[in-house]
Amino acid sequence: MATVIETRGLTKKFGERAAVDGVDLTVPAGIAFGFLGPNGAGKTTLIRTLLGLTKPTSGEVALLGLPQPQKRSEALARVGAIVEEPRFHPHLTGRENLVIVAAARDRAADGRIPEVLERVGLTHRSNDRVKTYSLGMRQRLGIARCLLADPALLMLDEPMNGLDPAGILEMRRLIRAFVDEGRTVFLSSHLLDEVEKTCDQVAIVDHGRVVVQGPVAELAAQGKPTVLVEVDDAAAARAVLGGEPRITHVEEEGASKLRLTLGDGLGSADVNRALVAAGVAVSRLEPARATLEETFLSITSRLGEDE
Amino acid sequence: MRLVRAEVLKIARRRGLMIWTLILTIGAVLVSEIILVALHAANPDHHGPAGGETNFTNYVSVLILLGTVASIMIGATAGSQDVSNGVFRDLVVTGRKRATLFNVRIPGVLLVFLPMMLIGFALALGGSLAFAASLPHPSASVVGGYGAYALAFTGINVILAVGLAAFVSSRIVVGVLIAWNVIVAPLLTQINSLGSARKALDTVAAHSFAPSRFEHQQVTMSAAGAIAVLLIWAVAFSSAGRWWTNRRDA
Repeated sequence: MATVIETRGLTKKFGERAAVDGVDLTVPAGIAFGFLGPNGAGKTTLIRTLLGLTKPTSGEVALLGLPQPQKRSEALARVGAIVEEPRFHPHLTGRENLVIVAAARDRAADGRIPEVLERVGLTHRSNDRVKTYSLGMRQRLGIARCLLADPALLMLDEPMNGLDPAGILEMRRLIRAFVDEGRTVFLSSHLLDEVEKTCDQVAIVDHGRVVVQGPVAELAAQGKPTVLVEVDDAAAARAVLGGEPRITHVEEEGASKLRLTLGDGLGSADVNRALVAAGVAVSRLEPARATLEETFLSITSRLGEDE
Repeated sequence: MRLVRAEVLKIARRRGLMIWTLILTIGAVLVSEIILVALHAANPDHHGPAGGETNFTNYVSVLILLGTVASIMIGATAGSQDVSNGVFRDLVVTGRKRATLFNVRIPGVLLVFLPMMLIGFALALGGSLAFAASLPHPSASVVGGYGAYALAFTGINVILAVGLAAFVSSRIVVGVLIAWNVIVAPLLTQINSLGSARKALDTVAAHSFAPSRFEHQQVTMSAAGAIAVLLIWAVAFSSAGRWWTNRRDA
């Protein structure tokens, strides 16, 4: 599979502080790729560096297989991007704002304006000034602006920010539709749930470093197994399980439910056996894997502890 | 050309700026003419006709004075609006060279501003001919000279404003250039000890096109010299603005 973004040792420093610190990133073509990290982790700086909005301190970047900045114009001609929040000339209409950006792209971009407005559902408001648009409409106009390039790669920085649930659902649908068309979507987010629902692969970034990268399902599966136990007497169950060193964490979820995090060598059957032997009635036993969110939190908090 | 048209669109759709530019160019000349015509009609013995050469130079002086303010305002806006509205980065990620994005600002804003100056100038000329009565009409050399003066003085300020606006906000640009034109440059021109060094001032170069010298103007120079000085100022400011546009984070 071809790669659309490839970085080697990419670093961007502001003074002594490295906002992006030796990042090696490989984004395959034709997927939705999530760039996940807490606020201030360096997500936006990485995107700005990839797009040539700011110069890297060191390292190599290739976009769509083209080395940057040597082949910058050629690569960016097929890239659409929203960096931070989408901004526009507020005194111009939505359509006029697209005309401005289309003028900086190839001639075919002019002809795409009606089509992209239709695609994001803004045709009926396209002749209104942007200053009258809601945040959700601006996000959609930002997507329309990206589509003027007929992009092979879309880079979206926190595209769900400020959207209501319906807007988030619509954005997720749009992103998946882009992937279905063969485009690659690279999106940064601190919303784990959204990345998990939207993306095929993810890189988790913290303190400017990519700490793990891979398919969402694989990363989520790296989390420790948990088991939800429903019993008649949660206090008695807690007392019984308290002596088991391979249970790393016990959390009460209501009066009769416990969520247990299991260590190596311990399964849900062992938990059931121990409880029944101690006379605790088990009415439900539900094994589960940690979500991406739990994996993310465990990785980022571990890094925090390392420092 | 598409990028220049886009620049024209960005400027021309600024309703407030357009209204002020119209007022300070066309409006200023029209109001001057209406006042002089009304005064002459009310008391012809005391107030002469509103036309003729002298009134023509007065109308053009008003046009240049207020048109300069307009040229600075419109130039500062054209030079800063992409960055101040946060759209510059979206233009940069199209892959267009930053230098190109800067370069198109100057022809774009001149295409909006100069027609207004030309209409204002035509109104001044038309009024001076229509209301001349027995007064002498302005000669072709006076008309040409004042035309060049108005174009040079306001045009150079548009370019300076665009270049300077790459570095600082439009408000600062307006303040700095008005202070330069109204206070600093006239003061420097008055300092005789500076001698011919004063010919390096853009204001002196622009003034030199005016056929009848202002009283305070003590420096004269050839048209070729004036054009050279104005070109140096234009190239210096636009080069500086382009350099910073290339260098800055978007």
